[in-house]
Amino acid sequence: MVKRTGLWTMLFLAALLFLCNPARAQKEGTDVEALKKTAPRVYIDCSNCDIEYFKTEITFVNYVRDRNEAQVHILITRQRTGSGGYEYTLSFSGQHEFQGLDDILRYYSNTSDTEDEVRRGLVNTLKMGLMRYVIRTPIGRRIAVSAAEPEKPEAGPDKWKLWVFNLSAEGYFSGQQSYGRGSWDTNFSASKTTPDFKVRLGLTANYRHDSYSYLDENIMSSQESYYLDALAVKGLGEHWSVGAFFEMAKDSYRNVRLDIVPAPAIEYDLFPYSESTRRQLRFLYRLNFHALRYQDMTIYDKTREKLLQGDLSVTLDVKEKWGSITTSIEGAHYFQDLSKYHLNIYGSIRLNLFKGFNAQFFGGGGWIKDQLGLFKGDATLEDVILQRRELATTYNYFVGFSLGYTFGSIYTNVINPRFGSTGGGGMSLSMN
Amino acid sequence: MNKRNQHRKAQGLKVSSAGSGRSCVFIAALAILIALFLQNAQPAWGQPRDVPPLKPGPGPIRVFIDAPPMDPASLIKGQSFALLVPDPREAQVVVRITLEPAKGGDVFKVALTGQHEFDGMRDVLPYVPEPGRKPDEDQAALGQIVQLGLMRFVARTPQGGRVRISLMDQVSPTAVVDPWNFWVFSLNATSFLSGQESYRSQMWFASFSAVRITPEWKIRLALNGVYEKDHYDYQDIVYDSSLNSQSVRGLVVRSLDDHWSVGADFSVFGSSFSNTGLAFGLAPAIEYDIFPYSESTKRQLRVLYRLGIQRIRYIDETIFDKKAETLFQEELSGTLELKRSWGTISTTLSGSNYLNDFSKYRLELNGEVSVRIFQGLSFNIEGGASWIHDQLNLAKGGASIEDVLLQRKQIATNYEYFFMVGFSCSFGSIRSNVVNPRFGSSGGGGFSMRISM
Repeated sequence: MVKRTGLWTMLFLAALLFLCNPARAQKEGTDVEALKKTAPRVYIDCSNCDIEYFKTEITFVNYVRDRNEAQVHILITRQRTGSGGYEYTLSFSGQHEFQGLDDILRYYSNTSDTEDEVRRGLVNTLKMGLMRYVIRTPIGRRIAVSAAEPEKPEAGPDKWKLWVFNLSAEGYFSGQQSYGRGSWDTNFSASKTTPDFKVRLGLTANYRHDSYSYLDENIMSSQESYYLDALAVKGLGEHWSVGAFFEMAKDSYRNVRLDIVPAPAIEYDLFPYSESTRRQLRFLYRLNFHALRYQDMTIYDKTREKLLQGDLSVTLDVKEKWGSITTSIEGAHYFQDLSKYHLNIYGSIRLNLFKGFNAQFFGGGGWIKDQLGLFKGDATLEDVILQRRELATTYNYFVGFSLGYTFGSIYTNVINPRFGSTGGGGMSLSMN
Repeated sequence: MNKRNQHRKAQGLKVSSAGSGRSCVFIAALAILIALFLQNAQPAWGQPRDVPPLKPGPGPIRVFIDAPPMDPASLIKGQSFALLVPDPREAQVVVRITLEPAKGGDVFKVALTGQHEFDGMRDVLPYVPEPGRKPDEDQAALGQIVQLGLMRFVARTPQGGRVRISLMDQVSPTAVVDPWNFWVFSLNATSFLSGQESYRSQMWFASFSAVRITPEWKIRLALNGVYEKDHYDYQDIVYDSSLNSQSVRGLVVRSLDDHWSVGADFSVFGSSFSNTGLAFGLAPAIEYDIFPYSESTKRQLRVLYRLGIQRIRYIDETIFDKKAETLFQEELSGTLELKRSWGTISTTLSGSNYLNDFSKYRLELNGEVSVRIFQGLSFNIEGGASWIHDQLNLAKGGASIEDVLLQRKQIATNYEYFFMVGFSCSFGSIRSNVVNPRFGSSGGGGFSMRISM
């Protein structure tokens, strides 16, 4: 025993030396394997993380696949920052022996950071947050810490005054002998975000074109849409915001040649905005002034009209250890004719209930009584099957559910890339 | 802690760089002298004195250590992320080490208390010394505990970005006590339904998998079933369409060394898309990775050769007048995966042919490249192309135009491609680490669904 303490001390003193030359790792095989058995059990709940990389870089904890088995539960959520990067919030929560040891750390990525830079930043933040748990277990004695050379402090004031601009374009083409498809999506945005003020201008153009030629059938189909959306919001404390939207649209699916919509709006969040990454319950009311011109004559014999629409939406977002909930209800009506309204409901629940059992449910539905823009005429087969035109309906719905049960080994420490790392097959549903 | 605030606050404070160890030791020594002086002159840090409120800067975290009889400087020696200060009121973290008697020997308690912007953060870390140890051993162990205990404070400052934490040893990921011996079993059922007046669609999926992954073995068995059905009803267009497939797939891989692996996969499956009633397949394979497998999350260049035998029974007679046949196939594929600070590359080239008839072959290239050309401009290409000369399974009857539009049946082709190119250019402020959730986050909604079999 005396010998072992002496060895540890020596090793600790050699830590800096070791860091200069990692190749000269000490052969402490059996000893450290005994320590690893009592290392903290960690569960990481993160849908946008390279967890395999975490496992190869952070070897002083044990990873488990069930949150109830973990001594440290780490929930990683992210939200867009004004620069277009992400704010990652790492919520550490102690369980079992570490009950009551909680912590919250943040990591910020930049918009043009590569995947590798982001995962390295997250690993670094995770390691620092894990230290207070690891140091309470024997493996903590084998951790070395050092600091790299200080970075140069950032120079000067921000000449862009927090304005961020982004231009992006994406083209997608696919085909074979009997068909060819193509689409283009182009976006431009300019935005400025401060805690109390947000301005955003976005321009979007989408175009898709399909052509089929099979036996003696030749079918061509295309769809295009252009959107301009602008937003200015002023914060009034932790719960209230006021602002306005301005939108212009041209959309062949909706039979809209031009729709101009200025819309003042007001919002209330039941929870403080500062808790938004974990929970939000927002009520947003907007008053839409539509000036519309249609592509083809509508079923109401209109080619243009002006409409005033009231629109209320309620959104609930909660992310906790047991899972997450996202629901929204949106309803709108026209003031000219109160019988023209729609109501949309959407909900998604993901639960990590008890050991090994997880359930996911999402669904949505709409009651639609306000298809004022429906074109007069008949849709073609390809319009129907390829969903190129809005068709008359009084409802729509979608429902999805997924149940999963996993049992067996709780440890997921191992990465084995041999023969590729595809999973055991399966299905994932995600919604945003 | 909000980084932006730190930057703002940083501008008001001089940068106290402690890059070299020597200056750090000097500052630490000076700090100890001052601390000793203050302690002698004013026990219990004397009269309250107005200390101007200090702001966190980009410099090291300010620490006051009270650990008699140990030398405070030695506890954080060589660590430029921390700076000893002589006055506890100036410190962002106050560390007190006490020796407390306990059952079976004394226990050191290391208490870290946050102040100023870290107000409310507190940790008490125990250290149980081994009997018969030397005092300098205690000091080294306590120094390490203090340094690691400071990490959660350092993580809240810009210093966090340059801290490196590592385990001093290589350790096997399987060094755990596991009664299940690394076997994991999963059951899953998923369904998706949608519709409106003129359209209804449903999808059902179920799977079971048993997996055991260790550094030496990869064993996987998976059962999957999918059923999809669409119904269209618009004026005189009434159309029903469905698709189903079922499969049992297994894979066993044995690691030979850090570059070689051998294994085999087998499958039993049926699919209405590919006109397959029932197919049995077995294929031994060997793989070589030019880079060590242990670097797989950073880089891989794997070459896989596979030799397979397959017995197929078709749903409808094929264009080659076959109802069933036995095929031998060989396949060679190369996969390159790189994830580096400049970007990510993932690409696979594979070729296969039937040994019964060498003119029946297929060549496929799939790739994804995402590169940051310079700060603010990133480029993304994804694509795939196939040269197809092995559609032995095509049904004689062909497909309807609806089957073509909905991709319900495989149809004759000599090639297939998809290509996606995107670029994103952003400029302007990079200081805006602000999250403002008001009026929702911009961007359209949508949902995605992925099936892998």
